[in-house]
Amino acid sequence: MILRFLAVMAAALALAGPAAACAHPRTSLSYLQGQVMCPTCHTTLDMSDSQAAQQIDVFISKKIDACWSARRIKSALVANYGQEILAAPSHKGFDLLAWWLPVAGVLGGALVLAFGVWRWSRRSEPEEPAEPAGPGLDEETERRLDDLLARFD
Amino acid sequence: MTRRLKATAQLLALGLVAGLLALLVWQLGHQAHAPSVGAVAPAFTLNRLDRPGKVSLAAYRGKPVVLNFWASWCEPCKSEAPVLQRDWTSYRNRGVVFLGVDYHDLASDARKFVTAHALTFTMLKDGSGKVTGAYGISQVPETYVLNRQGRVVAHLAGPITDPGFSDKFRSAIAKAVA
Repeated sequence: MILRFLAVMAAALALAGPAAACAHPRTSLSYLQGQVMCPTCHTTLDMSDSQAAQQIDVFISKKIDACWSARRIKSALVANYGQEILAAPSHKGFDLLAWWLPVAGVLGGALVLAFGVWRWSRRSEPEEPAEPAGPGLDEETERRLDDLLARFD
Repeated sequence: MTRRLKATAQLLALGLVAGLLALLVWQLGHQAHAPSVGAVAPAFTLNRLDRPGKVSLAAYRGKPVVLNFWASWCEPCKSEAPVLQRDWTSYRNRGVVFLGVDYHDLASDARKFVTAHALTFTMLKDGSGKVTGAYGISQVPETYVLNRQGRVVAHLAGPITDPGFSDKFRSAIAKAVA
């Protein structure tokens, strides 16, 4: 009796297995196609229709149907192909440079730009009126000029 | 002060350009090329596909080696597989070693391929493609025949079942065995 029950249960599971796709998928094929590289053509999967890319598409689809998360699928792909299979570098070790160098570059560029603008704005400010060029009036001329002006007072 | 700052900025910019140029030259210099006939085949150590463990090419020094690069998704590899298996069974008594290197492939699919085609020669897995890169492989199947000194006797960039390659493959093995 027990054996019969187990056999029925096993047959039910076997029949249900292939049809039991994940009711609530945790990621999508289109999302992962943009995150994973085609190993033979060096573009992301969504840009490739090579056989190697199609094989990975099938693998991802199967894992999505099995309710795997994007992280788990990517880990499985990295275990098989190595880190190069991911379009974006990892967030640890030497790969961190790939994330921080662009930030440092943008910050550095912004600083250089700000410094340039600051210098340019200082240069374009109105300057103090220049002293009259040439030597001043001699004492005699100055005295005569004062006398002349005094007549108009 | 301003002049010194300007000179420093110019030096930095020049340094950056020189660095980028150096990187470009280094990259060009380190691009993998297929080893030519007569050259020593690039050394490697790879994980086995069929069971745990590693295999080094150096372990086969003194024996002729047929190095076949394939993938389970590759259509021509399917028609080539039985021919390779047949040649392996006929040449192994003469000391020839056949090594299959699985290229950019899912290990699970590759194992199914090996089982489906009843391939019995040693299968290795190059998931990251570093070894295939060192051999300049850009498509599969490709086959190298190495002599006892580990030098390339022939490089067949296509299936050995191709009419042009079939005779070349066998004469290369004969040359490697001699």
